[in-house]
Amino acid sequence: MGLFFKLNPTTGQPLYLQLMQQIRHATETGALRDGDQLPGIRTLAEELVVSPNTVVKAYCELQHQGLLDLRHGSGAFVCVRRRTRSLAADVQTARRRLRNLIDELREDGLRDEEIERAFEAELLHPAYPAEIARKR
Amino acid sequence: MIDTHVIRTRDLAKSYGSATAVRDLNLSVGKNRVTAFLGQNGAGKSTTIKMLLGMVRPSGGEALLLGKNIADAKGNCEVRRRVAYVAENKPLYGYMTVEQTVSFASSFYPDWQTDLASHLLNQYKLPSQQKVNTLSKGMRTKLALLLALARRPELLILDEPSEGLDPVGIEQLLSMLVARAADGITIFFSSHQIAEVERIADHVCILDNGRLLVDASLDLLRQSYRRINLSFTSVISERQLRIAGVQKIRTDGRRMSIFASQNADAVIARARDLGVVSVDVARLGLREIFLETVLEN
Amino acid sequence: MLYYKAWLETRSRFLTCLTVLALFSAVFTHHAQGFLHPEWKTDFYRLLFIAHEYVIILWILSVVLLGMGGLVREHATGTSSLSLSLPVSRAHLLGVRIAVGIIEAIALGVLPWATIFLVSYTGGMPILFPQVAFYTALLVGGGMAYFALAILVSSLVEGEYTAPAVAIGLVFLATIAFDAWLRRFNLWRLITGSFSVDRTTYLLAGHFPWLAVLASLCAAALMLLASVRIIQRRDF
Repeated sequence: MGLFFKLNPTTGQPLYLQLMQQIRHATETGALRDGDQLPGIRTLAEELVVSPNTVVKAYCELQHQGLLDLRHGSGAFVCVRRRTRSLAADVQTARRRLRNLIDELREDGLRDEEIERAFEAELLHPAYPAEIARKR
Repeated sequence: MIDTHVIRTRDLAKSYGSATAVRDLNLSVGKNRVTAFLGQNGAGKSTTIKMLLGMVRPSGGEALLLGKNIADAKGNCEVRRRVAYVAENKPLYGYMTVEQTVSFASSFYPDWQTDLASHLLNQYKLPSQQKVNTLSKGMRTKLALLLALARRPELLILDEPSEGLDPVGIEQLLSMLVARAADGITIFFSSHQIAEVERIADHVCILDNGRLLVDASLDLLRQSYRRINLSFTSVISERQLRIAGVQKIRTDGRRMSIFASQNADAVIARARDLGVVSVDVARLGLREIFLETVLEN
Repeated sequence: MLYYKAWLETRSRFLTCLTVLALFSAVFTHHAQGFLHPEWKTDFYRLLFIAHEYVIILWILSVVLLGMGGLVREHATGTSSLSLSLPVSRAHLLGVRIAVGIIEAIALGVLPWATIFLVSYTGGMPILFPQVAFYTALLVGGGMAYFALAILVSSLVEGEYTAPAVAIGLVFLATIAFDAWLRRFNLWRLITGSFSVDRTTYLLAGHFPWLAVLASLCAAALMLLASVRIIQRRDF
């Protein structure tokens, strides 16, 4: 398959979210293209040694978000639609900005864990959550 | 109403004289999930499992296993045909050969999977004509597990399954469990090995001193539990931050470390109201959640 | 396959006891024949009466050993979790063990006298067949109570050596106690044939003591039922 997902069970982030992120990342970088088939639930679960429910949750959520098409009996197929493609572009831009910010913070002397915790804290208690939601 | 729980207990209790092994246990294990049963040694995990399987008589309360009341000996006996169980000490009859053991076990269960059994015997490299009491500990563990894994039961109950296995064996076991789960088998296993639980469990139950302290999906635990480190300009009393969800507070001068099972954002909001200088939020792995939960109890 | 398991568990014990009983019976009879003149029938039957007592001792020891084991012993060695997780009732598990034990006990009871009969036959001093049948029936019919006692003790005592020691101790005590106060009900005297033997011919004479043997079998049944109840109520 050429896809190597690596889930880290000890970080405290749900495994299905990690899997979703990695699948999404693969579609953004082009490792997964429109129409590609992802491994079956059982196959992927055995390969990653995680509960099949984790794979099911990830696939279902991605289908809900429009990234995957679950065809009953055939499997899970990548579905990079136009809207998702532009979203992917937004994400690319955002990641470039983040990369720059992270480089700056690192230059200021912050360690990676400190940067991650700061993000976590801000995400949990954003300054103006309602306004950000409205912008969307 | 169809019950989607394979195990359901109500105030299940067991006392041995003055010592209480299990108290007021209200446990529900859902179908088609991998549920892990965590707890220290002597927390009551094995006793609970033995009560469910009719080996130990409860002192109080009741329980349903695959819908049948465990107090009904006949019903419990029939239900055992649909359950696969491996005890903590991986019991086998020493005087039987590997082949005799497999023949023996398979004769009781219509759900026995002959092809899978052959596959596992090969994979585990178990010599079929050798007597069990001459096998190494690792081989015995694998054979005991094989007797349960080479079946297609509705429920698979394992008590410390990876004990006695080397890392390769553990990896094989976890892969096998995940494959069984994908086949629709509900898995309920007790373990000390937090790392394994974190990988394959959907749901976690933490038992301590006979009491169920945590009973939640692992994802929910990951999304709710947080460690929040706060720094204030002056000393703040802990009482001010004891809101719903806060389990433990440790204070060191003007710094406070809060272990919260939920409502992390409310805790941070309260901290900001009290004029906190710096807020540091960390997600928690299962090991820390377990240790903090059990140590405070 | 529970029968197969019970056989595997008792196989060594059974075959060893079988060999010992067979050897003893054959050697004793052969020696007795060589020792006596063909016409001294009474002395031959007296020696056989004595042989029977030895056979009984060996038989009781054998069935006590055969009655050992079971779930309580398995609990001590750690395999009870496997046996009890099987989809069979505890009564069934014990029942199979009892059935196999009874069959083995009968075999162990029939063999010595069959051997004695054969050896005496080939030696030119054939014993009357009704005598063989009488002795065998007394031993197996009356003696089952000892097997039942062993089963009962194995359901209560966990130790590998403690259990047979307790069982044998109880056999001794019961025999002595009954002989002292309830001689008429002494099982030992019944199965050795003391109540039926004619002291002049040393032949077992008169009616077969059906009532007594039946009473002994009832006692055996009660002890077995008690064992089942005990196993059913125990926590493992």
